[in-house]
Amino acid sequence: MTTTDQPSPVTATAPALEVENVTKSFGPVQALKGVSFRIARNEVVGLIGENGAGKSTLLKILTGVHQPDSGVIRLSGETVRFRRPQDAVANGIGVVHQEQSLLTNLSVAENIAMNAVSSKDQAIRFGVYRWRKLNEEAAEVLNRVGSSIDPRTIVSNLSFINRQMVEVARALRVDEVTHTTPVVILDEPTSVLERNETEVLEREIRRLKDIGSVIFVSHRLDEVLRICDRVEVLRHGELVAHRNTDSVSEDELFHLMIGQDSRAKRHSRDKGGHRPEPVLAVRDLTRKGAFRNVSFEVVPRHTVAIVGSIGSGREELCRAIFGTEPFHSGSLLVEGKQVRSWSMREAIGRGFGYVPSERRVEGMVGGLTAAENLTLTHPGKSRAGLVLKRRARNDIAKEWFERLDVRPRNPGLRLERFSGGNQQKVVMAKWLTAENLKVLILDHPLRGLDPGAMETVAAQIRAASDAGTGVVLLADTLEEAIEMGDEILVMRDGEVTARYDLSVEAPTAVDLLAKMV
Amino acid sequence: MSTVEKPDVNSGATTAKPVPEPRRRFQAGGLWYTAGPLAVFIVFLVIVAVLQPSFLAGGGLKIASVQATPILLVALGQAAVLLVGSIDLSNAAMALVSAVILAKTLGSLGAVAPLVCLVVVTLIGLINGLLVVYTQVPSFALTLGTLGILQSAALFLTKATTVYASSNTEVVTWLFQTFLVFIPAAFWVAVILAVVFWLVLRTTPIGQGMTAVGLNETGALFSGLNTRLIKVIAFALSGFFAGMAGITIIAQAGAASSFGLGSDLLLPGIAAAMVGGTAITGGVANPINVVFGALIVALIPIASAAIGIPATAQSLVYGLVIIIAVALTMSRSHAGVVK
Repeated sequence: MTTTDQPSPVTATAPALEVENVTKSFGPVQALKGVSFRIARNEVVGLIGENGAGKSTLLKILTGVHQPDSGVIRLSGETVRFRRPQDAVANGIGVVHQEQSLLTNLSVAENIAMNAVSSKDQAIRFGVYRWRKLNEEAAEVLNRVGSSIDPRTIVSNLSFINRQMVEVARALRVDEVTHTTPVVILDEPTSVLERNETEVLEREIRRLKDIGSVIFVSHRLDEVLRICDRVEVLRHGELVAHRNTDSVSEDELFHLMIGQDSRAKRHSRDKGGHRPEPVLAVRDLTRKGAFRNVSFEVVPRHTVAIVGSIGSGREELCRAIFGTEPFHSGSLLVEGKQVRSWSMREAIGRGFGYVPSERRVEGMVGGLTAAENLTLTHPGKSRAGLVLKRRARNDIAKEWFERLDVRPRNPGLRLERFSGGNQQKVVMAKWLTAENLKVLILDHPLRGLDPGAMETVAAQIRAASDAGTGVVLLADTLEEAIEMGDEILVMRDGEVTARYDLSVEAPTAVDLLAKMV
Repeated sequence: MSTVEKPDVNSGATTAKPVPEPRRRFQAGGLWYTAGPLAVFIVFLVIVAVLQPSFLAGGGLKIASVQATPILLVALGQAAVLLVGSIDLSNAAMALVSAVILAKTLGSLGAVAPLVCLVVVTLIGLINGLLVVYTQVPSFALTLGTLGILQSAALFLTKATTVYASSNTEVVTWLFQTFLVFIPAAFWVAVILAVVFWLVLRTTPIGQGMTAVGLNETGALFSGLNTRLIKVIAFALSGFFAGMAGITIIAQAGAASSFGLGSDLLLPGIAAAMVGGTAITGGVANPINVVFGALIVALIPIASAAIGIPATAQSLVYGLVIIIAVALTMSRSHAGVVK
């Protein structure tokens, strides 16, 4: 349980949360170098910073996952020490995780009840659920955040936004235990949401403000400016600035985060006169239940962006092209020749690369070092016959770490220890090391990245394209697709509904949206 | 409101203040996971030597290394399979089949007989691997099945009696009659195999692939590794090592039966692999440490008898030591959820 040193009288003026000089190191890496800030009652504070700036570490300390090496945390003036996540909950800190933490095979009510918080209506008695009470209680909690989801729904049947609402509702329950102002931490809650869903969440966050204090972590600076009262900027483990949101611009925040101006120039679409032979031609490709009669060509130095909403079949299409999932009819022509058997190994052997959206599961082997991951597919000089050469591997990795500004600059660390953006850089580099990368398939390559990492990865995509690779891109946003694509394919319900050649005409996001729904 | 510049509470963070040296709780680092099993073995040996000073002088280590040899060999195979995230419950039965085949063929085939054994049992391991990979039956269930089949095969081949190697026994008996530093040649052979295995894991794409598959099979697959081939190789290796174990059984006892020497190698083999730091969840294995794992596992019953622990309590001691040893040597670098 929590140890509370000498309960000092709780004053109404004490900040809801106060963090003083907190430090944390992981081995040689100092993640937090003395961080201090306070959050007042009923205040929404944005926390921004690049991947690897220490945001996740700070949140993990606030939620009891990690213990700080030094420093103090106070809640309403009382010093607290969290030894485990339950301690944070018991003290009124609720958290909505970046990756959704609901158990999808259980009902909403069960998920809400599971938050280790004791039940006030005795919905759980002697370790046994009393279902009616449980559902009533969940409905009440959901009602507080203005949601009318049926508590009996199985979570896997909910949309992302509704799952997020359940998470918010669950996080809010902490005040039932502590009877104090709850502090709710939202860790990039919008990164998995579509834009209209984001608006719902934004409304909810403003409501939360009346109930307690909110820490809002996001990479989308426009959202931070709209939602928050104040912004704290974290860079390399230190809070380098804080601003009131009514007196700061998105650009200024961006520069504060990055520390320098690194915004690259817009992608030039001038590809020269002739159009090269396609490296990949997709002909009438069909996978039952996913996509039908899709045809398009991937040309060197060009990017095909495929847009579509959930259920459009574009993810399945990409996976079929990479040989991950089979297709039922149609054909693939690689450099003019029809492929017979098609598998991931075959595709990789022909110079294909795939950056999946499920980075941690599919994109990398987290337990191997960054250098090993980088050279796993194309060992290049690090392999001589049946022997792997450590030194050559490290040389290759060092070169790419430098080129992609991967931090910390230690390719010998296990990849799982890097932050998301830096992991993504390594996953990209794994394909870029190929001597003859012909087709690069990117499934949401920029999702969840901070602006700095986004620039780096986007620049690498452009560089690969300029070097002669044909790119297939599933972008996060329509703007991204328009910005990076040379051709845009719009898909709806498994079929191509429109295609635009951007060298002829550039569609607007509204044009695309009209064909998507 | 205007921009707030550095009020009191933030000054500590914005100015570069010397950061106090981080306090750290005990963290077992990489060195421990490299040297842990050796350290545990030495500590264990010292405890035994103190409690029963005549143990070492009386050739206790020699007996332990003789006992440890077949355990080490099956444990090395088990480590290969555990490394790719599977388990092989049939490897002890494979060792037995190998021993039976050797006992029956040594007389007629002579020096070729051990090779025949190795080929046959490696093929059995290979088939195990192919079945796991292509039927997708979990290795635990599948090898439990082949365990039964192989036990039956051993009974059938021996007609439920003991089969004696009649002639040409000198082809294998030297393994336990030649000693180097009080330790039989068979054990040294196993150690050499462990070192070679270690080198393979450390420096070859196959070894790296095995680790990658054990850590994250999907990630390895999406990186273009031939994960099926890698798993089949692991099971074939398990077969090969089991074949070696079978040869040492004949070298030691000159006979094989379904109930004699080598019939109870399965659990000691798994224990030795785990005491040697192999993760049952996959992705972590160090064959050299498995050597010490096997020595510890073999030493426990011998030492507890030497110390004078009553026979009724010896299993208790065995169990406790295994738990303590695994707790000390397991890698927690990927901990969180432990199966």
